[in-house]
Amino acid sequence: MSNLANGIESAEHGAAAAIAEDIRDHADPALVRADRVDQLYSQLPLGMAATTVIGIIAAVELQEGRLFELVLFWGGLLALLVALHGLLFLGYRNDERRHENTEQWLRWLGIGAFAAGATWGFAAAVFFPSHADERQVFLAFLLAGVMSGGIPMYAASWPMFAAYAAAIALPFTYVLATFGNRLFAEIALLIPLFYAVSVAIAYRLNGVFLSGYRLRHAYQRQLVELDEARRQIEASGRKLALFAERAPIAVLELDAQGVLHEMNHAAEILFAYAADELAGKSVKRLVMPKYQADFDRQWATLMASRQPMSGVKVRNVRRDGLTVVCEWTVTPLVNREGQLLSVIAQGRDITAQLEAERLKKEFTSTLSHELRTPLTSIIGSLQLINAGVLGDVPKDVVELTEVAERNGQRLLDLINDILDIEKIESGKLTLNPEVLRMDELVREAMLLNKGFGDRFKVRFQPRGELTAREVTADHKRLLQVMTNLLSNAAKFSPEGEVVEITTEEAKEWLRVAVHDRGPGIPEAFRPRIFGRFNQADSTTSRQKGGTGLGLAICKRLIEMMQGRIGFQDREGGGTTFWFELPRHA
Amino acid sequence: MPERPLQRICYVEDDEDIQRIVRMSLERIGHMSVEIVTDPLRAIDVMKAWAPDLVMLDWMMPGMDGPALFRQMKQLPETASLPVVFITAKATQRDMEELAALGAAGTISKPFSPRELPDQLRAIWAKLP
Repeated sequence: MSNLANGIESAEHGAAAAIAEDIRDHADPALVRADRVDQLYSQLPLGMAATTVIGIIAAVELQEGRLFELVLFWGGLLALLVALHGLLFLGYRNDERRHENTEQWLRWLGIGAFAAGATWGFAAAVFFPSHADERQVFLAFLLAGVMSGGIPMYAASWPMFAAYAAAIALPFTYVLATFGNRLFAEIALLIPLFYAVSVAIAYRLNGVFLSGYRLRHAYQRQLVELDEARRQIEASGRKLALFAERAPIAVLELDAQGVLHEMNHAAEILFAYAADELAGKSVKRLVMPKYQADFDRQWATLMASRQPMSGVKVRNVRRDGLTVVCEWTVTPLVNREGQLLSVIAQGRDITAQLEAERLKKEFTSTLSHELRTPLTSIIGSLQLINAGVLGDVPKDVVELTEVAERNGQRLLDLINDILDIEKIESGKLTLNPEVLRMDELVREAMLLNKGFGDRFKVRFQPRGELTAREVTADHKRLLQVMTNLLSNAAKFSPEGEVVEITTEEAKEWLRVAVHDRGPGIPEAFRPRIFGRFNQADSTTSRQKGGTGLGLAICKRLIEMMQGRIGFQDREGGGTTFWFELPRHA
Repeated sequence: MPERPLQRICYVEDDEDIQRIVRMSLERIGHMSVEIVTDPLRAIDVMKAWAPDLVMLDWMMPGMDGPALFRQMKQLPETASLPVVFITAKATQRDMEELAALGAAGTISKPFSPRELPDQLRAIWAKLP
């Protein structure tokens, strides 16, 4: 088969070859074979009828004379053959799985074809030598007829025809060649040629049939695929329509001029318009007049770039005149040819959200001012008493005023920490980076926290040489981090201990580490240590102060300065907290 | 650095409790003279009459806030050159920059420590030209 296919391809060149390949790829070989077998079996009744008619004529013509029994035998053989073919035909028709059992049915038919050919070959071998001239002509004509009649019969399988025709031609050729007549010997030479031509025709026909079947299957399969694709498109179209229709956000479809084509239910509710009222009108109707110039500018940008825009805040005006602030995502739909099909705008009402943000900001600002002012008076008064400004105060009074001052300070620390973390998390904290010498910074932090250390009877002390290398960081905020680490170390160290501070330098980093002799960090607390409002033991904050926000703030500050912070167990007990910052180049 | 030591402080503040603490801190710990003004609208008159070395202004006050008063001081020849220190509770980065741009001598954030206030003021004083 491949030779034929190659022939077609080379004859019809490039495009046709590509199509042929495409067709072959799309046609299932099993289905093509089933078609061939169907074709072969559908020819059977015709073949059986022809065989019966020709057989009767031949038997009548040949039975005269002494060959009666032999003709009777041959006629019987032919009748049996037709009957068996009839059974084969019925068997095939009744096999529900005939399209799967193609191999088997093809084999049976092949055997049948060979047997039919052999029966005619038998007639040639037995009757040709024993008849007179005119009967020989009749027989030769008959044999040529049944042989060429096999071509359309077995066209769907050329090897089958080849077997059938060979079974006729071989004995006939032999008989002619050995008859002893020069003319017959010459005919005997022509028969193989005739045979070869017939097989070649069958081969060609076979090829035509085959490509026909393939085409049909490829076409059917394409139809199925097209249908499936159409169904998928319909389904996704419905899904998309549903998304837009049931979405809680407003969805508008606009054209390049900003004219509204469709809007979903959420948009109708948001703007208090019915979809038909706005269809065909400019979407600018939904923009506050004051901001329409802004809108025009942004629309022009969108049309020029054809890139989606998101987070576009627009003051929209509703039908009832109320203003809502919406955040829009605008996506231009452009086809492959670069043509703008439509613009999809998805909007969310953020009026309430903006109001909530404003309130939060106001609250933070109030917290900042209104809480700090009274605390200034409280802590200030207590400090003045504790500083001895009023002269000697009884010892137990001082004890209480010191408690009050310390707790006032704690409250203040908490407020400051909350404000800090709020500022960091809302992205409002800005750093003032400057070049700082690490050793100077560590000494400054130690000095600042000396008082705190004294309170817990803990000394801060550098171990080894502190590095004089520099980092780029915010001075005040880095001191805040150091203060946090030093005060934590002091709080958790036993009285009389020394908290050691070391610095290390790597190629790109400077590391500062604070080593304490505290109880260590409990296993369960480790993952949460840099979280908010976290302390390993809630009694700590009561006894020693601290808000549980300190390390969370440190982590965020260090990360804002492009650094890392962490901790590890210290050899011989205690914990080492460290941070690393990029070295100043 | 000015040749004479810091001696006379005028403080404009509406909160009477804080007034009392600042007075006690500056007088008893810092051994300075303090003139307190509660009404910012009267502040300019007091400054003209009392001639302080340094003025401390509260940032937020009813009637006229610290920065507004400061701008007014800058318009008048008698008060234009007085060093001004702001006391503020809302010490954001932007506020600090705004104050520096106005020409403030320094800022002290609320809450301040009365124990350290005199030293803080002297440090600012020492940095003046």
